[in-house]
Amino acid sequence: MSSALSTPAPPQPAPLVNWIGLWTIMRREWSRLMRVPIQAFLAPWISASLFIFIFGFVVGSRIALIGGHRYLEFVLPGILMMNIVNAAFLQSSSQIYFSRFLRYVEETLVSPLSYVEMIAGVLAIVIARSVITAIGILIIAAAFGATSIQNFPEFLFWIVFVSMAFGLLGIVIGLWANNFEQLTILNVFLIAPLSFLGGIFNTVTMLPPFLRWIAYINPFFYFISGLRHSMIGFSEASLGLGVAVTVGLAVVMSVIVWRLYAIGYGLRE
Amino acid sequence: MHARSKAETLSTATSPCIVRQTMIPALSISHLRKVYRSGTVGVEDVSLEVAPGDFFGFLGPNGAGKSTTIHCITGIANPTSGTIEVFGVDAVKNYRDARRLIGFSPQEFNVDTFATTRDIVDWMGGYFGMRAVERRSRVDMLLERFELTTHAKKRFRELSGGLKRRVLLARALINDPKLLILDEPTAGVDVELRRDLWRYLQELNRDGKTIFLTSHYLEEVERLCKTIAIVAGGRLTRIGLKDEYVREEGGLEGAYLRATGGDREKAA
Repeated sequence: MSSALSTPAPPQPAPLVNWIGLWTIMRREWSRLMRVPIQAFLAPWISASLFIFIFGFVVGSRIALIGGHRYLEFVLPGILMMNIVNAAFLQSSSQIYFSRFLRYVEETLVSPLSYVEMIAGVLAIVIARSVITAIGILIIAAAFGATSIQNFPEFLFWIVFVSMAFGLLGIVIGLWANNFEQLTILNVFLIAPLSFLGGIFNTVTMLPPFLRWIAYINPFFYFISGLRHSMIGFSEASLGLGVAVTVGLAVVMSVIVWRLYAIGYGLRE
Repeated sequence: MHARSKAETLSTATSPCIVRQTMIPALSISHLRKVYRSGTVGVEDVSLEVAPGDFFGFLGPNGAGKSTTIHCITGIANPTSGTIEVFGVDAVKNYRDARRLIGFSPQEFNVDTFATTRDIVDWMGGYFGMRAVERRSRVDMLLERFELTTHAKKRFRELSGGLKRRVLLARALINDPKLLILDEPTAGVDVELRRDLWRYLQELNRDGKTIFLTSHYLEEVERLCKTIAIVAGGRLTRIGLKDEYVREEGGLEGAYLRATGGDREKAA
């Protein structure tokens, strides 16, 4: 037992932020993302191309100007937003679900990573995926002569904050889901309907008056309207309210996700 | 030792628990209880201490609470009540500080199966905050040590069972932990690797690393461990030095069967 009597050196406290750990989560997530480039990037680019070509170019050429803008320019921010939301949600929900399913989430649980670092690492790649998806769609739209960004900081705000909010929502679903079907429920029953009803293809005034309230209580209306404002300067919603809704959603979701990590919901036995 | 009042101990004269009065234990578990959401009691009031530098064997039949205890120590499970300290650091309240002292090789493969051997080990080093240069040399050393160098670029799912086990061991050692926790580390590996691993673990232990081992192989525990605890039905039933089991119980197998009730089942 002689070795048992050696006095261990006192443990050093963990640094305030484990930057290398955070960077490693990002590296791992990026590596995972690059295993499915067709699914992650090519699929939304092809889908966006079809939307731009059919709705924006073919159908749009027969539609009158909206607020002084071609229909193609009007629908592009909505198509962009729909793909950003999908990219953010799918990235985080699938990452968390598969890390639970294959149990490699335990690698991070047994490591000296804080919950904030674990969440931030996932979110960083969520935002990266959304930005790359957006850049691809903008390049495609440029081929149709529709790309325009009037206010770049505002454009970036919408991309980053909406990605964050839906990335966080994806984490919640990834923690909750116990099978593949549950993983897709929110996308099918909430995200897709709300994004289509949020004014991708139409203005609020095109809706019958008794249905307009649906747009006003739909957060997607504010996201799409805000992004449209940053791109072509046209907006139907209050910009201030849109910013407040988006930032508020991101903050509330951050607190919820942090709390779920802290209690180990879906993570720990 | 807290376990003393709960479990039947074999001897007090040379037990490592005496060390507690003069130094911080490598691992201290006090009244640990874990009840799962389903209502299943995984562990019921387990208390024990592991002295620094000890090679501690944790034995018990399937479902006895071995993995549950380990999961509570490493943060994979939330303890329902009780305290766990690793070198004096609370593993729940100061979990980040406690985790830095632990290396863990689990019973089941908790790995991104599409990742390569090198990435799996390297990422773990990254989670522990190791710098790239330090990580690279440590990964190279561990891959070499576990004869994984030629498999470094292979995906985990392409490896044989024995190679997968080696990857988990390399991953557990990447941060050069003070406390190495091994849950069935030789399950499914061939005799050569098992013996090689035994030699390596003994070497690590001689160098002062504390090792906490669970195994179904009594021969393995008897050969490697200095202190042995036996759990059954979520409770600690025996704890003592290996020599005491041999001297007072006629060997580990007999003691194990008596402690787990296996002898009564056999008689019935």
